[in-house]
Amino acid sequence: MREVTKTVDTPDGSLDILQNISLNVEYQEALVIKGASGSGKTTLLGLMAGLDNITSGEIELLGQSLSDKTEEQRSAIRAGKVGFVFQSFQLVQGATALQNVMLPLELGGANDAAERALDSLQQVGLGPKKNTLVDLLSGGEQQRVSIARAFAVKPEILFADEPTGNLDAGTGRQIADLMFRLRDQAGTTLILVTHEAELAQRGDRQILIESGCLQNQEQR
Amino acid sequence: MKISGLPVIQSYWLMLIATVITIAIVNASQLITQRISLLLDRQASELLAADLVVISNHPFIDDYAREASRIGLQVSTTISLTTAIFIDDDAQLVELKAVDRSYPLRGQLERAADLVGHRTKVNQGPAAGEVWLDSKLFSLLGDTLTIGSLGLRASWLLSYEPDRGGTLFNLAPRILMNLEDLPGTELVVAGSRVEYRLLFAGEQDRIVELTDWLKPRLTEAERIQNLENARPEMRQALERTRKFFALSIVLTLVIAMVAIAITARYTASQEAPKIAMLRAFGISQSRLYRFYAWQLARIWIIATLIGLAAGWFSQFPLQWTLDGWFGKSLPQVFTIRPFLIAAVVGFISLVGFSLPYLVNVIATPPMQVFRHISDPQSVRRKLMVSGVAIASVFLVLVVLMQNSILAIVTLAIVLLVALLLPLIFHLMINLLLSTTLSRFWMRQYLLSRLKTSARGAIFVMSGFSLALLAILLIVVVKNELLDSWQTQLPDDIPNYFLINIPTGKVNGIKQFLDDREVSSSVAYPLVRARMTHINGQAVDTIEFSDPRAHHLARHTFNLSYAEDLPDDNAVVEGEWIDSANTRAQLSVEQGLAKTLRIDLGDTLSFSVGSELFEAPVTNIRSVLWENFKPNFFIIANRQLIEDLPQTWLLSALIKDAQKSDLKQLLSRFPSLTLLDITELMARMRGIVERASIALEFFFIFALASAFIVLLAAIQTGKRERQMESSLLRAMSAKTSQLYRINVLEFTLMGSLVGLFSAMFASLSAWFISDYFFDINYQFSPALWAYSLLSAGLILTIAGILVSRKVYNISPMRILRT
Repeated sequence: MREVTKTVDTPDGSLDILQNISLNVEYQEALVIKGASGSGKTTLLGLMAGLDNITSGEIELLGQSLSDKTEEQRSAIRAGKVGFVFQSFQLVQGATALQNVMLPLELGGANDAAERALDSLQQVGLGPKKNTLVDLLSGGEQQRVSIARAFAVKPEILFADEPTGNLDAGTGRQIADLMFRLRDQAGTTLILVTHEAELAQRGDRQILIESGCLQNQEQR
Repeated sequence: MKISGLPVIQSYWLMLIATVITIAIVNASQLITQRISLLLDRQASELLAADLVVISNHPFIDDYAREASRIGLQVSTTISLTTAIFIDDDAQLVELKAVDRSYPLRGQLERAADLVGHRTKVNQGPAAGEVWLDSKLFSLLGDTLTIGSLGLRASWLLSYEPDRGGTLFNLAPRILMNLEDLPGTELVVAGSRVEYRLLFAGEQDRIVELTDWLKPRLTEAERIQNLENARPEMRQALERTRKFFALSIVLTLVIAMVAIAITARYTASQEAPKIAMLRAFGISQSRLYRFYAWQLARIWIIATLIGLAAGWFSQFPLQWTLDGWFGKSLPQVFTIRPFLIAAVVGFISLVGFSLPYLVNVIATPPMQVFRHISDPQSVRRKLMVSGVAIASVFLVLVVLMQNSILAIVTLAIVLLVALLLPLIFHLMINLLLSTTLSRFWMRQYLLSRLKTSARGAIFVMSGFSLALLAILLIVVVKNELLDSWQTQLPDDIPNYFLINIPTGKVNGIKQFLDDREVSSSVAYPLVRARMTHINGQAVDTIEFSDPRAHHLARHTFNLSYAEDLPDDNAVVEGEWIDSANTRAQLSVEQGLAKTLRIDLGDTLSFSVGSELFEAPVTNIRSVLWENFKPNFFIIANRQLIEDLPQTWLLSALIKDAQKSDLKQLLSRFPSLTLLDITELMARMRGIVERASIALEFFFIFALASAFIVLLAAIQTGKRERQMESSLLRAMSAKTSQLYRINVLEFTLMGSLVGLFSAMFASLSAWFISDYFFDINYQFSPALWAYSLLSAGLILTIAGILVSRKVYNISPMRILRT
């Protein structure tokens, strides 16, 4: 991304959430975005994933420009190549673990969704609970379903927004281990937002966002 | 912390509108029902020529008329007696009726210059020195008749007399004269069989006041006649119409209450995070209760002002419709009762449905709200919400319906359905989910969405089903009622009764009618008999609890005999008369049997002149009195009464072109009396048609409430729907996929709602028609089609409108949660 700015309208006038961010993420790199609450790190993740449009600048995802694209077009660029893990899991309540993992596969038109979803669930250790309603799973298990769902589509890039934010320290570590293990196995590029130092240390590179500006970068 | 400074609850407006509609419905229905009832009573009053009549066989003491005048009622006096006049030296028995200048107090007389001439409506009877004649006596028109000692000129034919007789068939030809002339005839002397009538008309409450005043003062020989006991056919029609009003009002109110319940739940769900936050900040529960009590009070005050005004104004379109149609204004009602009742019902509904939800939210620990978890206590709180809601419904019932069994039963059905529907929807969705499919998208996904409690889909579907059920019930029962009326009163129904036919003339008259292609009914014999004993006990000594029973038991019965069960009669107990069996058998109409407490197997004794006979009741029979066919309270087997003195009657359809033959008919059969019932039938039709117009009007309220239910349905679960769309978008779902899933969610909801609304509407309509309207409910495939199509279509359209916004839903929202 080059000189990306994101501005929103507020009752007090325009507010720059991100200002002149220029950043390049390499293939199979694990990039960690750090910053205080309200610094703009989640907005940056959303813009990189094409979940929102930028106000100015240039941004490319997987070699395709996201600038001036409609939501539908950005969605098509993401399809089958991008996975997400969210802080609050965002699972479909009332559906089983397996069904949750099948969902992105079926949306992409896969015919072997059930097999692939089961395979993915087994990788996160939830094969025995494939038919359990996600409402009945613990927080750690729900996040594992979320990770299985993200990796089921074999994404080229995984976007993770505070994946351990809703979990206790022990469970959070297990989830981080799982996510990095799968990412290493699949060679997936990872863009991770966190404010936890321990988790941030696991990335190849860390960037710090403060008040919408990119402050510094640390290479491991 | 000043919590009153919080922004006003955004969802209040839906709750406010729902409450406004409830109050408007109650106010309008109270006002309109009173006015329509008054109109119906007046129309029916025309058949009494008054609102209330006191009948006696001795002159009245002045007190009655004086008291009536004192409280502002109109009074009229009529005196009737049977006497003979001489026509060409032959004595002809006539029913002489002397009327004062006020008669009739309700309705109009009709007179004509000759038998087929134009009828003119007039408000007064004959002037002094004149008489008006029954059509049977048309040959005397223009002559001076000697009545008793007085000569009176026959100036007009009497074509219609509103209060002609309590029963249709026992009439000698009528002569109407002026009351001032009666003393001159010298016919009324001590011992004469004379019937004195005092007629009263005026404001309904004054009539009630007079009735209450009269009751303790009436002597043995005096009795009151009002609309309820005047004519069986009219009573049945009025009862059905009133029942239908009660049903429609209660159903419309159900929809309005559903709207309040759904909007209240939605409001509470919107408020939950705010309340949790305030509680986390240390605001006490009591302070929150006070704050929300004040919010509800504000809604109630505003809704009452708007609702009462809306209810008041909503009378006018109906008034204009009816004015245009009948050229007569709806009677005005000046009382604050409808307004008070509406305000109270509004308060009970609003507080009863919304306060429990708010109490539930306020009582929930903040952490449970933040983390979307529920503890076992929440089940108890949910039961409390349901309990208070049910109690509110019953309270409304008490305020509004008082003793209407139909209304109570209807509400009981609605409550039962309200409890059953969520269970059925839950089971249905689980059943569909349990069918294993290899794919999750889209059917299983859709069903999971509906099942999620946070969306409230099952609650909304149940509410929408109830609203649709109520609308369907109003339509179905109305159509059933109108259909049954139209079936009973088709255009080709006989419009004349031919009565007083001597046994030897029956075939001659039938032949006369057949020759002129006049369609006529079977001829029925009539034997005038008095009931003397029931099971050996003299009727005079039996204590009846129903005052109507005394009159019924003592009046002269027209017994008939028949081999076949007459049309529109049905045996409800026992076996129809076995014509081959010579033993005595009686068939008794079920209303009479109930009033006189006659059971199957009881023995009834009768006197006909000096002849006495008795017979057991071998069957109880229902009769459709409104069909205007010859109907009888008691039918005997032929062998029992065929040798007793009797006349015959038959009904005929005499078309306008055939009326010129009537002169010839009456000349050839001078003892025959013709009774034209066209006017009576027109009045009966009028009652039903007026009632149906008024009901169309309630329908508008029902639809307005249903629309609020729909809006609330769309609002409920909106946030969840948007979040899911946002998640799907993040997972690269196409716009078309988002669009389809949202529209299909509503279509599926609509289809399930349509299906179960139709099912419950059919069952309820069957029950209500059968038990309250005596109508045989016909299963209607059209009802199912309407229900499925309307619910499916309306919710699909709602889904399309909602889904238009999915294009704009940013997947960023999912990161912001």
